[in-house]
Amino acid sequence: GQSYPGKPKIIRCRSLEKETFSCWWKPGSDGGLPTNYTLFYSKDSEEKIYECPDYQTSGPNSCYFDKNHTNPWTMYNITVMATNEIGSNTSDPQYVDMTSIVQPDAPVNVSLETKTSASIMSLWAKWSPPPLADVSSNSHVYHYELRLKPEEKEEWETISVGVQTQYKVIRLHAGVKYVVQVRCMLDLGEWSEWSSEKWIQIPNGQSPPEKPTIIKCRSPEKETFTCWWKPGSDGGYPTNYTLLYSKEGEEQIYECPDYRTAGPNSCYFDKKHTSFWTIYNITVRATNEMGSNISDPHYVDVTYIVQPDPPVNVTLELKKPINRKPYLVLTWSPPPLADVRSGWLTLEYELRLKPEEGEEWESIFVGQQTQYKMFSLNPGKKYIVQIHCKPDHHGSWSEWTSEKYIQIPTDFRAKDMVVWIVVGVLSSLICLIMSWTMVLKGYRMIAFILPPVPGPKIKGIDTHLLERGKSEELLSALGCHGFPPTSDCEELLIEYLEVEDSEDQQLMPSHENGHPTKNVKMIRKETDSDSGRGSCDSPSLLSDKCRETRALPSTVQTQDVREVQENKGGKRSWETQGIASEEKTLLSNESTKPSTWPAAPLPNNQPPMFAYHSTVDAHKIILSTTNVNIASVLMGNEENNQSQYHTTETVHDHMQKQREDNLHSKTDQTTVLVKQNRPNDKSPFLNPKLMDYVEVHKVRQDEEPAVLLKHKENSGKTEKYTVTGNSKEYTKVSTVVDHNILVLMPDSRTQHTSVSQEPAVETPENLQQGQAEKNMSYCLTVPGECKSETSGSEYMDPSSFMPSFK
Amino acid sequence: CHTSGMLTPNGKEYAQKIPREELTHLILKLLQAWKEPLSHFNQHIEHHQELPDDSLSKAKQISNMVHELKTGVEKSMGIISNALNGMASSEAAGLSISNEANMMSDSDFIHCFRRDSNKVQSYLKILKCRIMPENSC
Repeated sequence: GQSYPGKPKIIRCRSLEKETFSCWWKPGSDGGLPTNYTLFYSKDSEEKIYECPDYQTSGPNSCYFDKNHTNPWTMYNITVMATNEIGSNTSDPQYVDMTSIVQPDAPVNVSLETKTSASIMSLWAKWSPPPLADVSSNSHVYHYELRLKPEEKEEWETISVGVQTQYKVIRLHAGVKYVVQVRCMLDLGEWSEWSSEKWIQIPNGQSPPEKPTIIKCRSPEKETFTCWWKPGSDGGYPTNYTLLYSKEGEEQIYECPDYRTAGPNSCYFDKKHTSFWTIYNITVRATNEMGSNISDPHYVDVTYIVQPDPPVNVTLELKKPINRKPYLVLTWSPPPLADVRSGWLTLEYELRLKPEEGEEWESIFVGQQTQYKMFSLNPGKKYIVQIHCKPDHHGSWSEWTSEKYIQIPTDFRAKDMVVWIVVGVLSSLICLIMSWTMVLKGYRMIAFILPPVPGPKIKGIDTHLLERGKSEELLSALGCHGFPPTSDCEELLIEYLEVEDSEDQQLMPSHENGHPTKNVKMIRKETDSDSGRGSCDSPSLLSDKCRETRALPSTVQTQDVREVQENKGGKRSWETQGIASEEKTLLSNESTKPSTWPAAPLPNNQPPMFAYHSTVDAHKIILSTTNVNIASVLMGNEENNQSQYHTTETVHDHMQKQREDNLHSKTDQTTVLVKQNRPNDKSPFLNPKLMDYVEVHKVRQDEEPAVLLKHKENSGKTEKYTVTGNSKEYTKVSTVVDHNILVLMPDSRTQHTSVSQEPAVETPENLQQGQAEKNMSYCLTVPGECKSETSGSEYMDPSSFMPSFK
Repeated sequence: CHTSGMLTPNGKEYAQKIPREELTHLILKLLQAWKEPLSHFNQHIEHHQELPDDSLSKAKQISNMVHELKTGVEKSMGIISNALNGMASSEAAGLSISNEANMMSDSDFIHCFRRDSNKVQSYLKILKCRIMPENSC
């Protein structure tokens, strides 16, 4: 049946330390239903009722009152109410006075020990106060009580200990097993419970002592010696120890002459009693009331048990010889007792060394000398050194001396300083010189170090056209070239026109393939500086060299020079545009760009058809870059610094000279090598021979048609450059057709002219077809056949020949 | 040991008290006493196969050293005439002693030799420091 719960009952309330307390209750019947228990309390006579602050800490059916809720001077009225669904029931009130319910826990860690002194056995008991949850409140003073009894007995003997946590019990019976307990109490309240029982057996003292053992015998100076022993257990009684010995060959037994000098449990043999080269038979006997026991015999020959004292007077001296590194001299003295002077005892020394922070010692055997020179110490570092010694024969090492610290002062010798100063001055001088040269010849240096990237040599491509954005012209130029190259190109590739820059202004025809005569070689200096081919594209100059190295710009240079010098009649051969600049760049830089300096001969070792090659290549690459660096092999005079920004009188003169030169062509192969001037932002140094257009100077009408091509600067850009006399008109040769036709690029600025050659070509009108700029009409004919609107300059219009090409 | 019968100083003081010549004589006597037993010992151990080779060579080396030491001491002390006299008497003594030595066991032999060589070394050192005190004494 279910009913309201039974009445709970408060079992007890207890405070551990007068600051907190707990109460436990015992539930009544629960009435068959789940029951809740609540504890209420009130203070003194107040009306207010509080509920238990903590039901957990002290366990089930408990209430824990912590510091905040307790007041030692208050009387608490505590009741517990049991509640279930049906009803509730309240316990009888419990009046709790904190001071009266104080009871600490029992002491802990009780330890017992028997000690014998002066033949009296005593028992030492030690313990610790009870642990408290709240460690901060450790100001409690406990009073202790101890009780003990023999195990079999019933009656306890209780001893009041006081506030100590240890106690000595005397008047114990030997051979009896005792049991001990301890309890404690705070200044007010109740005694704690007794600690758990602790047993101890009082020793009997009935047995004779245990056998002692002899530890060792040592002689410090080979004149006396001492022996030490270790006693066994004393069996409960005071024990006497006696040392007895006998010498080799003698029967008589002696007793130790001196038990004191060397300390407890030792025997000291003075000089009189020490014999060498004799074996001692030593034993120790322990005696007490119950009996005696003797140790095992120990045989010793004093000669072999020498262990000296450590050396003394360890001193350091820093020696600073002239012109040499300072070194340290370590000196010491043998131990005072050792008689080294008479030679009776000879000592050997060993020292060990380590840097202060180091881990391992370095041992150095010194021998019999009492000094050591140390050269290998690092200045400024701190070292620790120790010395020990041993007899030179038999015997053992002494203890190490106490640690000695070494530090070599770091002195900066004047010599070292001077050296450093000199080094510093020299390096700063070198830096100054280098920077000065850089400043002065900066540009050239830069060109030296960083050669300008030559533009691609695409025959007939006009960078200006590209810049101006006239794509039609460009494309037409390409078209005029017959792009993609037709089969004609191969033939074209073979031939090229050598244009010589000489007073005669003779246009040297190119030589046949495979007929590289010396002359030709001399003359031929065209090189494709930017043909995009591999090195060795300039057979004239480098054929023999190419096999070995890729680029020998220096050789090229020399060859150029040589060939120039060899020129007779003032003929100068055309040089590539980039020669000068690239010479310089390449002189310092052996690695060639394939496009810049051809160093390897063509596979077929033919005279390179630079122009054609470049043309072909140029076709391919022309459209790939907006920044067209078109360059074709161009001839230029060494002396002509013809960068676009650079105009010189010499150039001017040269141009004039050229103008006056005769054109002549050689054989039937003509090639015009045109080089584009690429937009060059760099200094004139870089491209001293940049040439833009080739001026068609003259076309000879006599024997074979020839075209004298002159180079000129970028007329469009430089206005400084003025063409004296004739207004020269320049155009680019876009291609050469049929071996003797020059196809020139139309130039808007240029005037019409026409040069014709033997193979007649179409009329100018025809040529004009397909030309973007219709206002020009050109034809490439033998001079004279075609009329040009302007005089003086003759150039060829590629467009004129377009139909013929197709 | 067969040389136990010889009266030798047992401590530093005794050794220092003895006059120089007597000490030298003592040294020589000791060295002489070991000459015979050493050679006999060498012959003896040669038949021992279990000993390693370097032990045999070492033993031979030791005997040579003893002989050289004896010769050296004699020369340095300049007692040739005395030695002749001393030799005669010590030869006789040595013979009887060496007989005794032959009967020792190997370990006893080595033990006795070790001790006596230590004796000789100590006496020589004392002699040296007495004669030439400046040299590491």
